[in-house]
Amino acid sequence: MRAGTTPAVGARTTQGHRTLRYLRHSVAWYPFILVNAVVFAVFNLVPWISMIEISLRDTDLLSRNEFVGLSNYVTLVQDQLLRRALTNTFAYLLMYVPAVLAVSLFVAILVNRKLVGVKLFRAAYFLPNVTSIAVLSLIFRRFLSPRADGPVNYLLGLLGIAPQPFLLSVTQALPSLAGIALWETFGYFMVIWLAGLQGIPSELYDAAYVDGASGWKLHRHVTIPMLRPTAAFIVVISTIGALQVFGSIYIMTGGGPVYATTTVVYHIYQQAFNFGRFGYSSTISIVLFLMILVITFIQGRYLRFGEEVY
Amino acid sequence: MLSPRTVRGLPSVLVTYVFMILVAVTTVGPFVVMLSVSLTQNIRFITFPIDLIPDPITLENFQTLYSKTMALRWLGNSMFVATVSTLGGVITSTMAGYAFARGTFLGKTVLFTLFLGILMMPSTALIVPQFVVLSRLKLVNTYTALIGPWFASIFGTFLMRQQYLSIPRDYDDAATVDGAGLWQTYYKVLLPQLKPAMATLAVLRFMGNWNDFLYPLLVTSKADMRTLTVGLGTVARSGGDAGLDMAGAVTGFLPTFLIFLLGQKYIVQGITLTGLKG
Repeated sequence: MRAGTTPAVGARTTQGHRTLRYLRHSVAWYPFILVNAVVFAVFNLVPWISMIEISLRDTDLLSRNEFVGLSNYVTLVQDQLLRRALTNTFAYLLMYVPAVLAVSLFVAILVNRKLVGVKLFRAAYFLPNVTSIAVLSLIFRRFLSPRADGPVNYLLGLLGIAPQPFLLSVTQALPSLAGIALWETFGYFMVIWLAGLQGIPSELYDAAYVDGASGWKLHRHVTIPMLRPTAAFIVVISTIGALQVFGSIYIMTGGGPVYATTTVVYHIYQQAFNFGRFGYSSTISIVLFLMILVITFIQGRYLRFGEEVY
Repeated sequence: MLSPRTVRGLPSVLVTYVFMILVAVTTVGPFVVMLSVSLTQNIRFITFPIDLIPDPITLENFQTLYSKTMALRWLGNSMFVATVSTLGGVITSTMAGYAFARGTFLGKTVLFTLFLGILMMPSTALIVPQFVVLSRLKLVNTYTALIGPWFASIFGTFLMRQQYLSIPRDYDDAATVDGAGLWQTYYKVLLPQLKPAMATLAVLRFMGNWNDFLYPLLVTSKADMRTLTVGLGTVARSGGDAGLDMAGAVTGFLPTFLIFLLGQKYIVQGITLTGLKG
């Protein structure tokens, strides 16, 4: 726009007028985004910047507040408990993500038929998903009682399986939590699968049928390949969800027994709110942030929402 | 939908029903037991086999819960926080969505890109710095802290922007010809056409706010400022008897259950529209 030699005086005034008019025009729009911008600044932008600043301090937000340079980052590298938390988080993720992917697909195929009452069943599967994790944790803390007459143990007993300690066991606590998350969220992913399933043209099934495929083979050769984008989307979303698990741990296990269910987010929580180490806690938050960032970049490719926006 | 021919190739309808019922029992069953235990007298543990209809049916657990804990106060807090947060978020979303869909203003692209970036950034990593900022602003244990972040929904802004983009500009032009300004066009001409999207957003936001756990846990330390979910978490950790726990669970369960019954259509729409929760 500014290219060329000295513009004529008249042209410059027009340019100035246009800029002015654009600004005046802009001002009319700002009230519409004012609240969003302020909230965004206070609750997002400032905290993002503060995260780095706080990570360079040793502070309990009360009396102690020293600048310690990179010492929190040194602690980070040496933190055995963080390593444990990372291992736990990935173990949880590896149990939960494949399970929820498979179960929600199975259920979606089950209810993707025009049968009487099928909508009621879909609603029933979605029910845990609209319920607070606090409520679910209250229920499952009781259901997973180690007593032989506890609900889950009783049902296992009917199948001839001895009573299990579940949340009280170092080896079973984390799988139990993953199981609860599976139970809680499969209905949500079922809805996403259903949207994918209903996008498959029925001609494809007809063609495969003519070619002699039927029953499970139809699904193997038509449904599953056609649903690959949906699957990728679900993997990313459920992974991000799994990385952030907190409520069930806080209520049911408190990170134990013996750190068996201490995940990264729970570690962050404990460092800040139990031990008053807000600086170090922010440092771990940066690690979590980077982990989520990587997945988010992958997510960008599959977020349907993003496609619409661009 | 599958064609009738292929359906015949699938496992028989009967097998499908058996599986559907089995899965439904696992998802609905625990809630039925929850309700039953909450109405049972002096019940320390949940033991199976269980009589689903207690004898006698009693509200004692609820009376104890409401008198011994601050559950009613928490319920009130949650109602207030969720309602105000939802209204605020829906209103600001329709406003910002309008600006991003129709407006031409300085900084639009920058802000839009920033918002998009934030949308993709799950906020759990930000929770501790958020707390530090709030504590520096002396906002811990205030409704401002509980409600504030909900007054801007990036997700809602994008949702609404999409809705505006689907409305022909002729409406705006006609309003302008009639002498309407931006606000009148927004409020009188466009907003009425956004009602279904607003309902979808409202249901998702209300549920999201009601069920939120980590954030309200951190920004409230005083018992009387807790939301219901956070309060119930402390009840669970205090190790009362099963009847009390389940009375708490029912109290937390019913509001979202009712909204789910009434707004199921909107929830499913919201998910399939975007693949995201509010």
